[in-house]
Amino acid sequence: MLLELKNLTIPTLDQKRVIVNEVTFGIKEGSIHAIVGPNGSGKSTLAYAIMGLGGYKALKGKIFFDGIDITNLSITERARLGITLAWQEPARIDGLSVHRYISLGMKDKSKLREKIVETLKIVNLEPERYYDRTIDESLSGGERKRVELAAAIAMEPRLIILDEPDSGLDFIVLEDFMNIFEKIKKLNMTILLITHREDIGMVADYGTLIWRGDHIVTDVFPKVMLRYCAKAGLKEFCKRTLFKNGAVCFDDDYIDRIFKEEGLS
Amino acid sequence: MNSGDYPEDILQSLEDYNIDIRDFLPGHGKGAKLLLDFNKISGIEQVEGIVIKGREIPNGIVADVVIKEGTKLEEPIHLCFGINKETGVQEIFPRIIAEDNTDVKIQAHCSFPNANGLIHKMFGHYYIGKNCNFTYSETHYHGEKSGALVAPVSYIYVGENSVFENNFNLTKGTPGKVKILIDIYAMKNSVIRSNVKAFGKSNKDSIRIRDSVFLEGENARSVIKMKAAAKDGGEVLMYGITEGNAPYCNGHVECSEIVLGHGSICRARPFIRATDPTSSISHEASLGRFPQKWLDELMAKGLSEEEATDVLIEAMLQEEVIL
Repeated sequence: MLLELKNLTIPTLDQKRVIVNEVTFGIKEGSIHAIVGPNGSGKSTLAYAIMGLGGYKALKGKIFFDGIDITNLSITERARLGITLAWQEPARIDGLSVHRYISLGMKDKSKLREKIVETLKIVNLEPERYYDRTIDESLSGGERKRVELAAAIAMEPRLIILDEPDSGLDFIVLEDFMNIFEKIKKLNMTILLITHREDIGMVADYGTLIWRGDHIVTDVFPKVMLRYCAKAGLKEFCKRTLFKNGAVCFDDDYIDRIFKEEGLS
Repeated sequence: MNSGDYPEDILQSLEDYNIDIRDFLPGHGKGAKLLLDFNKISGIEQVEGIVIKGREIPNGIVADVVIKEGTKLEEPIHLCFGINKETGVQEIFPRIIAEDNTDVKIQAHCSFPNANGLIHKMFGHYYIGKNCNFTYSETHYHGEKSGALVAPVSYIYVGENSVFENNFNLTKGTPGKVKILIDIYAMKNSVIRSNVKAFGKSNKDSIRIRDSVFLEGENARSVIKMKAAAKDGGEVLMYGITEGNAPYCNGHVECSEIVLGHGSICRARPFIRATDPTSSISHEASLGRFPQKWLDELMAKGLSEEEATDVLIEAMLQEEVIL
């Protein structure tokens, strides 16, 4: 496993409440692994805790990255080990150019321009239009997210955490983003995808369902999604849309069995 | 004039600002030029539509730059006030007149790479006629020793329907003691953009800038944007002043300052005043540190907190004013 969470418990900043409760699962190197769950279930908290952001310190448990205990390492130390995070709403920093931003995390700065151009192409931004732009309000939400992805890819990390990359995007852009995720995977980078949308999650190899802070299941993604629907009581939605038209189909009997396990008919 | 005729350390110091030194040496580049080596005029070059005259006085020069009516130039006019001495006094008295319907840019460089207490004073008058598009950019570099004592004063009249952009940049090296006063008088339908950036890096640095716009003509508009950072004992005080004294004028003052390290002080004083009931004047000011989320985002790319802060300062001091 590239990343392992062992009994990880994350409290609120005032320590009065637990957001993520004794979560244990692992992420295989080279995979796309989606964490799903309803709003407020603790998905983003997990992402921030893995990245090491202040305010998301473990109360209990450990985080291992490639066998190294990173639980008490700083953000910078984790990033230098090969972890990065692309934010749901990345900041707009007036005065910072796209090419400067992308170059920040690059380890090897030789042939800088070529590498930045190449990275912009991966995220489907025309280099001639975006190379010298500044990261300000003139970039749309989708463009800013692509620049963020480009900056993450340029670091050549081993693990990229994508915090709800689907938020605020239309379905055309969403489709494009899913293709970009496949490209990232081919670059031998592992993706941890935080999402609550089944369509974007369909690019995932594996998934983990977090429900009210608890770990429910980690498995191949369609099975995780099925369990998610069962927890939410969305049997008809599940039968009608999720897996009938998707790449993986379950027959009705299998769906019925999963729902029964959740105490639903 | 050859580049060898001018002090090399002054020329080199400008490369940090991505300024190609060949562009402002007489005999090179296309623009008009006035080049000063301490208190001596090293070269003047005029182009069609631009008249530059200079006279040496005991501690400096008096210079006139006249942009003749209708002149529109792509190449900027270069004014280079260089000093490679550690000490001494340089006093500049420029008068700049842009006649009606002109479109020019002036790029001024005040480069003192060896400054260690030298004094640079300027007392400038600018007259911008009607229907002009005039940009004045002044870049300062005061070396890495103890900086200079710099005290420029500028009075600027901007005529009807003209656009005036002022860019002042003091972000590299050790500034030293800096006191700057800029007064801009905006006539009917004129547009003023003033963009001031300064970085006090140590306790050797004390920077005080007063940038004032007086909206005296109907429908005149202005934005003053002042950006500063003070680090390791540096001190920056910025006054952004706008007065609305004419019908339907519209002005805004914005001061953003970042304080880093103990002993550093940033002070922002936006001052606004309206004497016409139809005018609209606003201000905003912020002091403190960068948002933690911005730092986190950069640290997640492998930067330390200090490196991330430096990148954000660099970005803040590069931001441009848009009206």
